[in-house]
Amino acid sequence: MKHSLKRKQVLIGLAILMAFLISVPFFATDYWMTLLVLIFIFTVYASGWNLFSGLTGYTNLGLAWFIGVSGYVSSLLIADYKLLWVFAWPLGALFVSLVSIGVGYILLRIKGVYFAISMVALTEGTRELIGTEYLEPITHGGKGVPFVAGISLPVLYWSILLLAFITVFICYKITSSKFGLRLITIREDEQAAETLGIHTTREKIVAFVMSAFFTGMAGAIHFTYQNYIDPSFGFNIQLTLTPIVMTLFGGVGTVFGPLIGATLFTFIHEILWAELTILYMAIFGAILMILILFFPQGLLGWMKEKGIVPRIRKI
Amino acid sequence: MINFIEILIRGLMLGSLYALVGMGLTLVWGVVGIVNIAHGEFVMLGAYLAFWSFSLLHFNPLFSVILAIPIFFFAGITIHKRITERLTKAPELSALILTFGMSILIWNLAQFFWTNTYRSVPYLTGNFPFFGLVFAKSKTISFFLALGITAALFAFLKYSKLGKGIRATSQNSEVALVCGINTIKMRAVTFGMGIALAGAAGAIVSLQWVIFPQMGTTYVSKAFAIVVLGGLGNIQGALAGGLIIGVLESLMTQYWSAKMAQIIPSMTILIILLLRPTGLFKR
Repeated sequence: MKHSLKRKQVLIGLAILMAFLISVPFFATDYWMTLLVLIFIFTVYASGWNLFSGLTGYTNLGLAWFIGVSGYVSSLLIADYKLLWVFAWPLGALFVSLVSIGVGYILLRIKGVYFAISMVALTEGTRELIGTEYLEPITHGGKGVPFVAGISLPVLYWSILLLAFITVFICYKITSSKFGLRLITIREDEQAAETLGIHTTREKIVAFVMSAFFTGMAGAIHFTYQNYIDPSFGFNIQLTLTPIVMTLFGGVGTVFGPLIGATLFTFIHEILWAELTILYMAIFGAILMILILFFPQGLLGWMKEKGIVPRIRKI
Repeated sequence: MINFIEILIRGLMLGSLYALVGMGLTLVWGVVGIVNIAHGEFVMLGAYLAFWSFSLLHFNPLFSVILAIPIFFFAGITIHKRITERLTKAPELSALILTFGMSILIWNLAQFFWTNTYRSVPYLTGNFPFFGLVFAKSKTISFFLALGITAALFAFLKYSKLGKGIRATSQNSEVALVCGINTIKMRAVTFGMGIALAGAAGAIVSLQWVIFPQMGTTYVSKAFAIVVLGGLGNIQGALAGGLIIGVLESLMTQYWSAKMAQIIPSMTILIILLLRPTGLFKR
């Protein structure tokens, strides 16, 4: 009885929160809407990263690759082929997902730090490649692609809100499922997982591709929001590292960690940026170091350890 | 043909510098088990050390190279004892993020204090003619400096007691501990050495190129390519890897374009990891 009461409370709270968020465009200023848009974009980035890396333990330092590839496909479709954003976004996400099947098949055989390095190399290589003279006719090379997608801020806001909701929900479902359990087993001991009959390569690729899809979708939206993409912007290492740091803030491998981390981080970022612009990055670096040294499990992880929050897989 | 030899030798000169940086990274990675993303920042600091001691104290930059070694060695030991030693037992991601944070902290502080203005150390100008080939004085002297430091490093690792202890710790730290080697001390010394190599390389760099706060990033990505090429923890491999990368870059810049040459580190890493993940050279 107590269990279902708590469940009802959570669902009601969630419904109220969603109703509030949906109504934001009707009363909030542009500043708050854009802040929320960024929070949602990075929530999807962080959750997408966490879905693969948090559960399987394979640190993916190539998140920017998903974002950049999907962002380029989507932006070029809108800019050069006059496609509606409604179609361009999913196509961008689908493209990067398909390519990542191949990439995953090849690169997921590599373990540990080497895998992380290879993803960085892939991102850097793709970025340089897109900027070269040979691909310029398609990609506009280093000049970048300025474009306008014909979408209003509220509609963009609702789209990313929807995406963020779906992403977090799917992360919740996967983490609670047998599939999620298999991924966690891979993280804990890959050899033992294989001995138990888990097809590790296949499971890893599936998680990898899912990560690519959600991240790519958010990437497409991100660049539509920015009305611009170019090689260094689209494949920027910050796009990889910020979501990872957010997930670290919140708790790697947890479901709501990325969401909490993205929200907290964005607020701290806004405050630091407003008050201490000059040394902002240096302080950010110092915060990162302190975080890793003293709170490696993140806020949610710490709360689980203290017992404030139940130590169950699905949170 | 003459032109080709000149390009080749210039590649080797370039590579010797990259090798210094790469050897520092692989040493730390192999012995301490930490992937130091901030490694490039110490190269940058070494370059600034040479610059400031040249402009303010009128020190000979060649002297700064030698000076850099003990300074960065002790800095490295301190950093290790306070910060990175705590992460020896932690998962790899932690070290990655920590050193990444350190990297951001360092180059942003450098940017804050010294601004983004390009600096340089115009000490060695002019060329050495050599049997019809022409080489810049700065690059040639740098080459010999780098070789000297590398030789000293190899001699130290092979013949000194500390060096043997370091090698033992890199091969199997638990067994080394059982044999009575103070692995904590070995790790601290190695980290110090790695940072010292980076700092010295930076001082050498100051003789040849412009200096600015973000210069570290290009060195660290080449260093990663070198470490992957040479094999983790393999110092000789890193030396060879550095020379290879230098030659490749020189060749590609000449025969294709400087832009395409930027793809080398990434391509190298991907190809090697796919075909021969343990690196080109046997342990």
